[in-house]
Amino acid sequence: MSASVERDAQGRRRARWTPWLLLAPGFLWLFWFFYLPLSALLRMSLSTKPSRFAVPEFSWAWSNYEQAFSDYGSQFTRSFTYALAATSIALLIAYPVAYVIAFRGGRYRNVLLGLVVVPFFTNFLIRTLAWKTILGDQGAVVSLLRTVGLLDANEALLRTPIAVIGGLTYNFLPFMVLPIYVSLEKIDPKLLDAARDLYSNTWRGFRKVVLPLSLPGVFAGSLLVFIPAAGDFVNAYYLGNAKTTMIGNVVQDQFLVQNNYPVAAALSFVFIAIVMVIVAVYSRLLGTEDLT
Amino acid sequence: MTQGVSRRRFLAGAAVLGAGVGASALLAGCGGGAGSDGSLQVSNWTSYIDPGAVRRFERDTGIRVTYTEDINDNNEWFAKNRAVLARQGWIGRDSVVLDDWIANRLINRLDWAEPMRADRLSNRGNLLPELANPPHDPERRFSLPWQVGLTGIAYNRSITGREIRTFDEFLAIDGTTAVLTEMRDTVGLVMRATGADVTRPSAAAAEPAFTELERAVADGRIDAFTGNDYVNDLATGNLAAAFAWSGDVAQITRDNPDVRFVLPESGGLIWSDNHIIPKGARRPAAATEWIDWFYDPTNAARLTAYVQYISPVQGVAEELTRLGGAAARLVDDPLVVPTPDLLAEVAAFGILSEEDADTLDARFAALAGA
Repeated sequence: MSASVERDAQGRRRARWTPWLLLAPGFLWLFWFFYLPLSALLRMSLSTKPSRFAVPEFSWAWSNYEQAFSDYGSQFTRSFTYALAATSIALLIAYPVAYVIAFRGGRYRNVLLGLVVVPFFTNFLIRTLAWKTILGDQGAVVSLLRTVGLLDANEALLRTPIAVIGGLTYNFLPFMVLPIYVSLEKIDPKLLDAARDLYSNTWRGFRKVVLPLSLPGVFAGSLLVFIPAAGDFVNAYYLGNAKTTMIGNVVQDQFLVQNNYPVAAALSFVFIAIVMVIVAVYSRLLGTEDLT
Repeated sequence: MTQGVSRRRFLAGAAVLGAGVGASALLAGCGGGAGSDGSLQVSNWTSYIDPGAVRRFERDTGIRVTYTEDINDNNEWFAKNRAVLARQGWIGRDSVVLDDWIANRLINRLDWAEPMRADRLSNRGNLLPELANPPHDPERRFSLPWQVGLTGIAYNRSITGREIRTFDEFLAIDGTTAVLTEMRDTVGLVMRATGADVTRPSAAAAEPAFTELERAVADGRIDAFTGNDYVNDLATGNLAAAFAWSGDVAQITRDNPDVRFVLPESGGLIWSDNHIIPKGARRPAAATEWIDWFYDPTNAARLTAYVQYISPVQGVAEELTRLGGAAARLVDDPLVVPTPDLLAEVAAFGILSEEDADTLDARFAALAGA
């Protein structure tokens, strides 16, 4: 047997392992930072503890999930309703903004994009607290709305669902603007020229060319807003009241105040499951495989 | 003199922690890395010490101190440190300041507190006799009060349009009202309004108070649950009235005389924040010297002049007078130097059994919408 044949065999053996070696860092990452934490969370969600300060013990305690559904149904509903409202409003605001920047921004594009992002260099919490002042009972917004008769003298904005949804919309708006901008900016202007050559008016050109091509951005932006908004608890805490609490507030209380880790974990799992179902349905509806 | 407001949280801290709590639970396994330079590691609430104190303590005792204002909330502190304390590890702190009820948890239920070193306590005799035998630490072996405060009702008179003297008047306010997220403060104050004895609390004794609270939240007579952030909302007029802590209000009242603090006619609550040495502390003797230093009336008076809560140390009023200026004027403020009449109106929330604490915490969370 010649030496070269042996070398070939060795090379083939090595080649067989190469893909696995290349994948190993990714697998290890997923194993350590996804699989392990998630299985620890799952285990916790099926644990019980005999007393508050005892270490929870694994015991297939499905009752935690029963409690999650039976006691906190309204908070789940509220979380997803508020997140849906915030996502829709963010989309209505973000699409025209991204459109103007992408198609009419000219040489100011980067400046305009910067202006979208700059406010968000401020801390998340400070921005949310600022809305307390803006929407405050003695603030300009409320007094304007009272003057024009949209609010009664003793009606307020702060500590209402409007304030919470507004806060969510504001805080996650850039996550909607940026992906939509990216997908709009990628559109070849020649396609619009072609649409005009084929006698389509501006609206029709938008509907048949721009909108379909920007859907991946809309899809990505919606998820980037919807998922964190549904899990948020800061906006509900500072801008809402006892009747606007979201599932994040419940998890926070179970975890930090009541030290009930199993229920907090079960709530998190139910939340993950619902989000996954919503995302699956949504991606089916939008039918997009090109996720920007 | 105005200071950056207040002890206790600005729930902001809790919010940030909430976001990172999953991570902290994981990292708790790594133990505290702070304090490897051998200095005394002290944790306290924000704005809860006069600025020169640490330097003067270091000069007087030769003990180096790393002072950190990282306690925002009793529950949050507990959630953050329980994993390390449970296995008798070092949480990176030699001295912490926590409320009575959580002091009780650490001292009596979990045995997570280190006794103070009796030989280092030269000023202990200055402790006010009323505070010498609390239920959570009858002989004061583990804890000494840092400051004492009152829970009552604060209101912005320019919005309420009238003085508020009772819980019923509080509920009748046509404007936004808030109660505290600290269960014992809120439920305790309403328990007093229902005539229940807060010094011996139980789930049964709290029942009428919960019924009252649940009804008030349901029909919108109580609008919000707040942490320390009620302070700003009261001053700006976003809140007409709130359950409040005396020292916070003492500080805003000086800038905005419309904001007033009152103990309801049915009575208010008195509480203390306890200096505690957590188990596993590396420098328990130095931590004892630290708290003892603040029991010297001069040092105690300077602390009080700054934080404007009630001092647990005898002789502070005389020292405040000697300091002169704004400090001397505090002597006439009953929320800082309480009169016997005022002390007769307040009671301390006693110790709940473990089951009752669980029950009431869960019920209170449901009340607050969580």
